[in-house]
Amino acid sequence: MPPFPFQEDHEMIREAVKGWLSDWEDGGKTLHRVAKEGQGFDRAAWEGFARDQGMAGISIPEQYGGAGMGLLGRTVIMEETGYTLFSVPFFSTCVLAADMIEAFASEDDKKDLLGKIASGDIIISVLDGREKLSLKDNKLSGTLSPATDAAHADLILVAAKDENNDVVLTGYSPNTAGLSVTPYASLDPTRSQAKVSFENVALSDGQAIGKADDVAFSQTLQIAHGSLAAECVGGGQRCLDMTLDYANQRVQFGRQIGSFQSVKHKCADMFIALESARSASYFAASPDLDDDRAAKFEAALIAKNYASEAFFKIAGDAIQMHGGIGFTWEYPLHYFFKRARGNRALFTSSEDGFQMLADQIGLKSHASSISGE
Amino acid sequence: MSIREELNQWMLENLTGEFEQIRWRGGPGDEDSSSELRRAWEQKFGEAGWIGLQWPKEYGGRDLSLMDFVEFNEEYARHGGPGRAGHIGETLMAPTILAYGTEAQKERFLPGIKNGTELWCQGYSEPNAGSDLSNIKTKARLDGDHWVIDGQKIWTSLAHESDWIFVIARAEEGTKGRDGLVFLLVELDQPGIDIRPIHQISGTAEFNEVYFTEAKAEAGNIIGEVGEGWKIAMALLGFERGASTLGQQMMFQNELNLIIKTANENGRADDPSLRRRIAEAHAGLKVMRFNALRMLNGTQDGSTSKEGYISKIFWATWHRDLGELAMDVIGADAEIIEDELSPLQKLFLFSRADTIYAGTNQIQRNIISERALGMPKEPRGTTNG
Repeated sequence: MPPFPFQEDHEMIREAVKGWLSDWEDGGKTLHRVAKEGQGFDRAAWEGFARDQGMAGISIPEQYGGAGMGLLGRTVIMEETGYTLFSVPFFSTCVLAADMIEAFASEDDKKDLLGKIASGDIIISVLDGREKLSLKDNKLSGTLSPATDAAHADLILVAAKDENNDVVLTGYSPNTAGLSVTPYASLDPTRSQAKVSFENVALSDGQAIGKADDVAFSQTLQIAHGSLAAECVGGGQRCLDMTLDYANQRVQFGRQIGSFQSVKHKCADMFIALESARSASYFAASPDLDDDRAAKFEAALIAKNYASEAFFKIAGDAIQMHGGIGFTWEYPLHYFFKRARGNRALFTSSEDGFQMLADQIGLKSHASSISGE
Repeated sequence: MSIREELNQWMLENLTGEFEQIRWRGGPGDEDSSSELRRAWEQKFGEAGWIGLQWPKEYGGRDLSLMDFVEFNEEYARHGGPGRAGHIGETLMAPTILAYGTEAQKERFLPGIKNGTELWCQGYSEPNAGSDLSNIKTKARLDGDHWVIDGQKIWTSLAHESDWIFVIARAEEGTKGRDGLVFLLVELDQPGIDIRPIHQISGTAEFNEVYFTEAKAEAGNIIGEVGEGWKIAMALLGFERGASTLGQQMMFQNELNLIIKTANENGRADDPSLRRRIAEAHAGLKVMRFNALRMLNGTQDGSTSKEGYISKIFWATWHRDLGELAMDVIGADAEIIEDELSPLQKLFLFSRADTIYAGTNQIQRNIISERALGMPKEPRGTTNG
């Protein structure tokens, strides 16, 4: 019955990650450095976090070399990485790629790739090319963008549809003939984005990971994206904390601005959005749902959409409550606002997400369904 | 057998016959419907031993845990159990008497609540003590072996159906705010009390004005001491810790299902904007449930957890929005009243009260910002209402 069974070991992980990331962000200086020079990726920090601290393997099953802490473990980490906008490919590699491999790869590939993920020795970018890539004569062609974390990936895991409408998953080295990766400047400068082009790239030049049914693939992808809710909660919490600090310091008309009801009520609304998003995020990670795939899918869909809407609203309100300072580049709020906007659009947009949910709850539509059912 | 299975069995056998017509009835906005039948139901429910499950065994309870009580409430709602005529007595009055009452008061009042024969209502708000609840003007003075009460209460739910009212009144002349108040238990059927229904936006009348003109209460019918009225009054509000929240959500789900059914039947399920609003309502209801589960897990010690602060404003706003959504899904046909207001028309009109009673949304935001977020307190004015 209890749906939020964080255990003591989750809380220990949280404290450890919090401390480590607080050092990393260095009072906000690091984000500016990453935005300026790093193209949204801090390699040294990734190696320290993933390899030395062992955080990459937190939710990888124990038999593949991970800590086996499941969705709850990953939720704790994503909340803290969201709080600091930690600019590393944890979500791409340790969530998206790990889930795809666990669901669809052979036992040998799982041992190999999940093992490398757990030890922090590989960066994987997952690209959903089901709509945009053509697969003819066993060759892939087309362009995918934005491709998150592809710019520095060791392996590009791409999904395409074959003539039977099945999903073919293939892993490529970025040096593969016909494949080119072009880094982009991203609107969200703490996340790495690129354009990836395929020009008659042979399936045989890559590593065949597996085949999947289209609906099963969508569901696995959606469930993985449920973890993004935790990042939104962490980011939202940071925006609220910054706003409260500012409102308690800043004096106008002879009073702290935090004593004005218009400011207090806005902060209350931010808190309501944040705590309800947190509930949605925790629930989507609950082990209670492990045996019920449909419920898990719906919880992830709700968590991702609800939390990314909440984060965007909170981040926007935070800028408003800060006044002019919130509009400056120097003050780090804008990074959170930009991350929030990106998360709304990642994988399924909020608009598509709610339309999918409408299908899910039995609203009949004459338009073609996008949930694949 | 779990409490859920026990109740399931009983409901299948007893929510039948004449009671069939009050299934799903008597919730908020519908509380003045079939009052005699619902009173009979309350007694039947009490005789079966379902009232006071959380009370200690020495007072006839079963010491039921909070989570079991939540399951019990969910199961009751799942059957469409009628809105409980005795809910104020069971969920507010009884825990207060158990915590602060004398042995004599427990013996006098708990059995009437437990067997469903004595119904209670709440005498808190006054015309000038709404959001500013401590601005109480109703007076009480001790005259020999009786309290004598003069003043007026308002927004008293179900006073016209009740037997007793608990009242906060000012007992010490010249006191202001939270000082000098008493918490009294007053029998309603007496010459000094006049109950006038308030006809509401929905055309129905659950709320009342209650006038006290030298109304009397036995000297012993005070909970706590003179001057402790505010403390008792606030403690009473704290007892409603969300156990009934999940049951309430079953009712909300029922309303949402009706909206989905309507949209599918009249074709508005095709409208992308309405589809999104309905999907958001569904997500909101799920989130409400997750919030409640999180809160119930975190508050075994009775303190208010951070997420606990958002519960009232979240459900109230969600429910009010649901009423608006219901009307938009029905469209122009919602203008037509056939015989009586339909459930969705009632929902639309009555849910305007949700964001006002039990702490308006504006007061909720004050509470959240001050208590959950630690922001500066609202300065108090000097004008007396």
